[in-house]
Formats: sequence, C-alpha cells, structure tokens
Amino acid sequence: MVQRVLEVDKLKVGIKDDGEKIAIVNGISFYLHKGETLGIVGESGCGKSMTSLSLMGLLPPGVERHDGDVRLGDLHFKDFSKKDWRKIRGKKISMIFQEPMSSLNPVYTIGEQIMEMVLSHEKVSKKAARARALEMLKLVGIPRPEHVLDEYPYQLSGGMRQRVMIAIALSCNPEVLIADEPTTALDVTIQAQILELMKDIQNQLDMSIVLITHDLGVVAEMCDRVIVMYAGEIVEESLVVELFDNPKHPYTRGLIASLPDVDEQKEYLSSIPGVVPAPGNMPAGCRFAPRCTLAHERCNETPPLFETESGSQVKCWLFEEKKSEVVAT
Amino acid sequence: MTEEQNVLLKVENLKKHFPVKGGIFGNKTLQHVKAVDGVSFEVMEGETFGIVGESGCGKSTTGRTILRLLEPTEGNIYFQGRNLAELNNSEMRTLRKDIQIVFQDPFASLNPRMRVRDIIEEPLINFGVADRKERERRLLEVADQVGLTPAQLTRFPHEFSGGQRQRIGIARALISKPKLIIADEPVSALDVSIQSQVLNLMRDLQKELGLTYIFISHDLSVVKHFCDRIGVMYLGKMVEIAEKNRLYDKPMHPYAEALLSALPSPHPLKKKKRIILKGDVPSPSNPPSGCTFHPRCASCMDVCTTDQPTLQAVEDQHAVSCHLYTEAGKKSVAAGEPV
Ligand SMILES: Nc1ncnc2c1ncn2[C@@H]1O[C@H](COP(=O)(O)OP(=O)(O)OP(=O)(O)O)[C@@H](O)[C@H]1O
Ligand SMILES: Nc1ncnc2c1ncn2[C@@H]1O[C@H](COP(=O)(O)OP(=O)(O)OP(=O)(O)O)[C@@H](O)[C@H]1O
Ligand SMILES: [Mg+2]
Ligand SMILES: [Mg+2]
Repeated sequence: MVQRVLEVDKLKVGIKDDGEKIAIVNGISFYLHKGETLGIVGESGCGKSMTSLSLMGLLPPGVERHDGDVRLGDLHFKDFSKKDWRKIRGKKISMIFQEPMSSLNPVYTIGEQIMEMVLSHEKVSKKAARARALEMLKLVGIPRPEHVLDEYPYQLSGGMRQRVMIAIALSCNPEVLIADEPTTALDVTIQAQILELMKDIQNQLDMSIVLITHDLGVVAEMCDRVIVMYAGEIVEESLVVELFDNPKHPYTRGLIASLPDVDEQKEYLSSIPGVVPAPGNMPAGCRFAPRCTLAHERCNETPPLFETESGSQVKCWLFEEKKSEVVAT
Repeated sequence: MTEEQNVLLKVENLKKHFPVKGGIFGNKTLQHVKAVDGVSFEVMEGETFGIVGESGCGKSTTGRTILRLLEPTEGNIYFQGRNLAELNNSEMRTLRKDIQIVFQDPFASLNPRMRVRDIIEEPLINFGVADRKERERRLLEVADQVGLTPAQLTRFPHEFSGGQRQRIGIARALISKPKLIIADEPVSALDVSIQSQVLNLMRDLQKELGLTYIFISHDLSVVKHFCDRIGVMYLGKMVEIAEKNRLYDKPMHPYAEALLSALPSPHPLKKKKRIILKGDVPSPSNPPSGCTFHPRCASCMDVCTTDQPTLQAVEDQHAVSCHLYTEAGKKSVAAGEPV
C-alpha cells in the first residue's frame, strides 16, 4: 500500500464568539500519499487557508483547532510542543503562504530570511547558507539575485515576493509542501517555471504536495487528486481527469462552467449566483442548497459523502441511490 | 473602439528609476533599477486598457506612478488634457476622486486597525460627502455589489480570507464613482466563480457610469475576456500595443508570441507545449544593449544587439517595437542574415 505521509482526521477549526464556538472548517478528513499532489479548490472564504495554516500549527490569533487530529507520518500533531514545531517546520512540512507580505519580515533582508531557514535546519556555515540562498533565488527566476539578496521585501514586485516565499519554503527540501496559491501573482511563463521547479524537487525527493489554488489550469497541470471545499466542508473528492470531465457536485459543476474560455468570446462569464454563507450563519442541511438550482426537499438534511462508481466522493443527495454511503459526517 | 472617442489619459515617455543603495553606509547610489523606462500610451474614455507582462517588468510601478503615489523620474501624464505633474497637492487630491486604484497586495494595502466599513467609506469622507445617510447607502450598495454582507462590514481586515480582502479593495475603489480605475491584478486572488462575478460587476459599472479601466494582469485569458486594447510590457518598456483580437490572433513581437503560447489550457489531458523563454531574466538595473529582449529572442539579428527599436504603428491599431518590422531590420534580413 502507498504510504500516507499526512492524514487529517475530522479537523475542526474555528473562532470563539462570546464563548460560543463557531466553526470555520467543519470536520474535514483527507490524506496525502507519498509523492502525490493533492489539489484543494473552493470558493473564496471556504476555509482553504485555515486548513493549511492548521497543518503548520500557525493559525492566526483568535482562531483555533476545536477538534480532530493531524498525523505527519507517525507523529501526532496534538503532542507537538513549540520546540517540536520549530524542528518540523521547513524540513518535514513547509508552506508557501498565500500572502507574501504577511509572512515576509519587513525589517530583514531577503537573504537573511532564507539563510535563517537554512541555518535552523542544517549545520552549515553562514557562508554556505548565503550561497544556498543565492542559488534558491536563481532557481525561482529572480533577476539580479546578488542584489536582491540584500534588499528588503518592499523593494520587490508582487511576483518577486511570492517567489522569495517559494525559495524559503523549498530551501530545506521539505517532505511535505503546502502551497497556498503559490503562483497567483505570477505570469504564465514564470508560473510554468515555478511549477516545473516544484515537480523537479518532487521527483528528486518524492516530496508530497498539497496545492491550494483557484486556478483550474494549475490544477489540471499539477494534481493527481482534487478536493473541492465549500463553506468549510469537503463536498467532492475526485481524480483530476474525472473532476474536469465529469464534475459531480452542483458546486463543482458551476466552478468548471465559470472558467473563461480563451477560444470563445462572451460578454459576460457564467458564475454561480449568490455568496458563500458566513461562518456562524450556515444554513441547516446542505450548505450549498440556497444557491443550488437542483435543490429539493431532501437538501434540508445534511448529506453524507457518497461514493460514486468512478471512485469519486460527493456530498450531495443526488448521488444517494447510485452507490452506498461511505462516511457519515 | 471608435474614432470619435476622447483620450482620457495620455502617458508620455514615463520613467521611474529606483536608486540601488550600497557602500559601507548604505548611502551611496550604486545604480538604478529602471522599473519603468520610457512608456507611452493613451487610454480612451470608456475603454479597458490592459497591461500584461512578466513579473517585475514594471506594471505596478506604471500604475502607481500615474497616480503619483510614486513621483515619476521623467515623462508626462495628462488626465483629461491636464498635466498631472503641474498640479499642486490640493488639486491632485481633488483629482484622486476621479482616479482610483485597486492594489495588487490586498493584505499590505488595507489598514489593519480600521474596520472594513470605515476602510471602504474613507474615500467618501476624504472627498467631502458629509451626509451620513448617503454614505451609508453607498457603502451598503458597493458592499452588496462585491459580495460582502453587512455583518462582515464591522470586522477587521485580518478576519477575511485573501479573496475577500481583494473585494474590500475593489469596493473602496468603486465607492467614489471615479472616472478611471487602475486595477492592479484585481481578480488574481479570486476563485473563478467570484472572479466572474467581479468582472461582470466591473463591466456593468463601466456601462452604467462610463468608467474607464487600466487593467493590470498576468492572466491572459482574463485579459482577453475583459480588455479592449492591450499593452505588452517587457523590462520597463511597452513592446506591443494592439486591439485585443489582433494581438491574440497575430502577436508581432517575439516576446508577446512566447507569452501567448504559454496560455494554459484548462484540461489535464490537453497539456500544451509552452515556449519557455531561454536565457536568464535580465536585470532592470543593467538592461541588455539594443533591444532589451534580444538575448532571449529566437529571431535576434545583429541590429538588435546594438540599436534600440521604438514603438511604431505597423498596422491599424497595432504598434510594435521590434526590428523585424523596422527598415534597419529588413535590411539585415535582405543581407541574408538568418532570422
Ligand atoms: N482571524 C480570523 N477571525 C475570524 N474569521 C476569520 C479569520 N480569518 C479568516 N476568517 C474567516 O474564515 C473563513 C475562511 O477563511 P480562509 O482564509 O481559510 O479562506 P480561503 O478558502 O483560504 O479563501 P481565499 O480563497 O479567499 O483565500 C472566511 O470566511 C474568513 O472570513
Ligand atoms: N520601492 C521600490 N524600491 C526599489 N525597487 C523597486 C521598488 N518598487 C519596485 N521596484 C523594482 O521595480 C521593478 C518593477 O516592479 P513592479 O512592482 O512594477 O513589477 P510588476 O510588473 O508589477 O510585477 P508583478 O507582476 O510581479 O507584480 C522590480 O524589479 C522591483 O524590484
Ligand atoms: Mg486563502
Ligand atoms: Mg505588480
């Protein structure tokens, strides 16, 4: 059997409002195989970043894990101390953050920030760490890397900052990489280069990747398997080709239909009407039902994940008869 | 685009060079990063002008310099015929009501200590809309348009996801009903469905209010969908400006051609062969001689290494800066040089 490097079990993440727990991520479970690339897609605000930050033990103040567990190989995340985390982060599990400015330190130079990561995991000299930093900047395609090493984040363009983040995350050859919208600020040519780089490192080291992106082109290019999230829950899990050819959940179908097609001229793009419900204000039953054109009475009840013939899992009553229930949530 | 349209914004030979400091005390200027290096273009009233190009080529700097959030090193910017460089501070402040910007990095551009409602409303206060009820009405209207609920308005920026923050920035830019919006990667942090909602909204507002957009993006399918004319930037310069269909059907500049070949096809089994540009990304502080693209260009000729081409109209609504289309270049080809 293929080794599972990461296993997430009924993870609940949320905030406390007047002592009342409000879930942002509502009990999601998934796993990651060694060497695999798992995509996570879903509407803005559905909890993708909160899921990934909780995998790194880096939830922002006020947001906490309410329930569930995460296993990294044979390590139980519940037992980690601050010191354990420092050893694990960057080496066993590393993350490319969605917003470079929020994770780069404005008062340190780019070089110092990459070197710090290298020095905290490897017994190398400062000089060697600086050489590694320079090499990483070259690998992610930063022009005039010797100068950028001594520059501060504010002096870089949006895409350059994002690439610096990528350089930091990859500098210690992590076993698991969590990439939260790693290429949103990059043009297609550099995006292609970064995706190639991630694949190269993956092939060399059998790195496993969780790739969060709203760019379905990137999903198509990179992922083996895809999880679709909606309002803090997983609504579909499919192999990548299946997801594009035969999207099942009505939300996934809407998502695939919203893609702008370069070969077609349309004045307006199709989109899913309405907005995601806010945490703490979720509809009872299926959370997508208020926006779903196929909603019926049954949808007042929360559907479980159903397994379909193609092996996909779908949280929608429309798939009830087709196959038996897998997990009750 | 029709002939009678008025020019709303005219940018002439715009330059922005950043000093690179060094030396023992870090106070010596060693060289300059030529982030924007002689850019000229016009934007017509009611149109959407797209700016595309590699990361770091100077798109955001162009946008910020137009608004004079950065002082231009050289060049002129005319808005409705008035030279922005000649305006004093108070005139410039009034004018900011008419030109708004949506920043690329939503995290860095929203004040973390302000509630979202105050962030969005601020331009109205700055521009003297004193009536509270009116401000409230506008606030709820734009919030609704970008998909933020009234309950969310009382929260702080850090409580929002990346895509939600982007919508806060868009709402803030829309609220003062400007004439020109410089939208710097406005939808790149959004998932496709919200992206469509926001683009549809921007288009509706354009029709309703006659808005003009400068739309900066690296997403070529979005640009193709949304823009009327497109300028392609490379290393601080405009290398091609064309009406959208002309550009996508027949890119003239070899860089534009490579860029368009990299358009992703959104299906896992239809992976395309992309032209990945050879050679290193050159340094904007020490750009190559002649045509700055020549070290990476598959059609490079001798003349390209020495002479800098300029942007010239070669067809109707299609201008390009490349020796393949200049007299000097054609001579070079006639002399039997390989292309
Ligand atoms: N610090 C916080 N306090 C309270 N709520 C928060 C906080 N951070 C995020 N949220 C809420 O949690 C939800 C999930 O946010 P998250 O950042 O995980 O979304 P996302 O799926 O990554 O979206 P995007 O695609 O826009 O990045 C959102 O509704 C957001 O408003
Ligand atoms: N404040 C600054 N000080 C020094 N250099 C700067 C500053 N701002 C930008 N630069 C440099 O100017 C160049 C152009 O940056 P700009 O942000 O305009 O690029 P961009 O085209 O918007 O790229 P992206 O697509 O990555 O956002 C980069 O080389 C950058 O390092
Ligand atoms: Mg996110
Ligand atoms: Mg930019």
